[in-house]
Amino acid sequence: MRVFTRLELEKYDGKNGRRAYVAYGGKVYDVTDSFLWQNGNHQALHSAGGDLTSEIEKAPHGDEFIKRFPVVGVLEE
Amino acid sequence: MVKVTREMVERAGIDVDKLVELLVKNAAAELTTYYYYTILRVNLIGLQGEGIKEIAEVARIEDRNHFEALVPRIYELGGRLPDDMKEFHDISACPPANLPKDPTDVKAILKVLVEAERCAVRGYTQICNMTAGKDHRTYDLALAILNEEIEHESWFSEFLGEGPSGHFMRRGETSPFVSKFLK
Repeated sequence: MRVFTRLELEKYDGKNGRRAYVAYGGKVYDVTDSFLWQNGNHQALHSAGGDLTSEIEKAPHGDEFIKRFPVVGVLEE
Repeated sequence: MVKVTREMVERAGIDVDKLVELLVKNAAAELTTYYYYTILRVNLIGLQGEGIKEIAEVARIEDRNHFEALVPRIYELGGRLPDDMKEFHDISACPPANLPKDPTDVKAILKVLVEAERCAVRGYTQICNMTAGKDHRTYDLALAILNEEIEHESWFSEFLGEGPSGHFMRRGETSPFVSKFLK
């Protein structure tokens, strides 16, 4: 399983044709093909290329939505 | 834009550009839902479909009313709708409520309907959370819409046999909560 540093993850911001990856709970998920993650932006409040673990607490949903996406790696601790 | 109106929301600590973007995305969800629900509703035929046609139609019309109610607030806060309707469709806060592959599968249609409503409930809950105690007008509007979306979810959820929701079918006037914004 690929290990992403936070700096590497930033490159996967979903903009200009780049893949959109988000980290949650130590895993990195590919959200590129989601209708709700177009251009790496989710609901005007969240951006791809980063660790969303703490942001999920403020979201109106749990982590079940992130866990539906394919895992492409783990986030370096 | 209404200058002091926007300024009051900014001074309350809200990122108004983000709020406006959320309102535009949810307005897109409402209008696209109105369109997709039209297709779903016309396909609710036969013995099974006939029983659900009415609630699908009420939800459809009320979601259109939600779009109408959101538009003035977007512009009050200095926002705007995209010039291109295709772009508007694609920025929707909720995925398209597409007709299932088998259009005669009423249960599948119900699942599409209930998921669309659930997305809306989450969306307006988020806006209420952001604006409570800070942007009174947007909070009032988002709460009104949320009340109707919750009722929509409850109707479809009951038809799916997920348990009692405490709601009866709406009789009489549509948009009992949002209609005050449409006058």
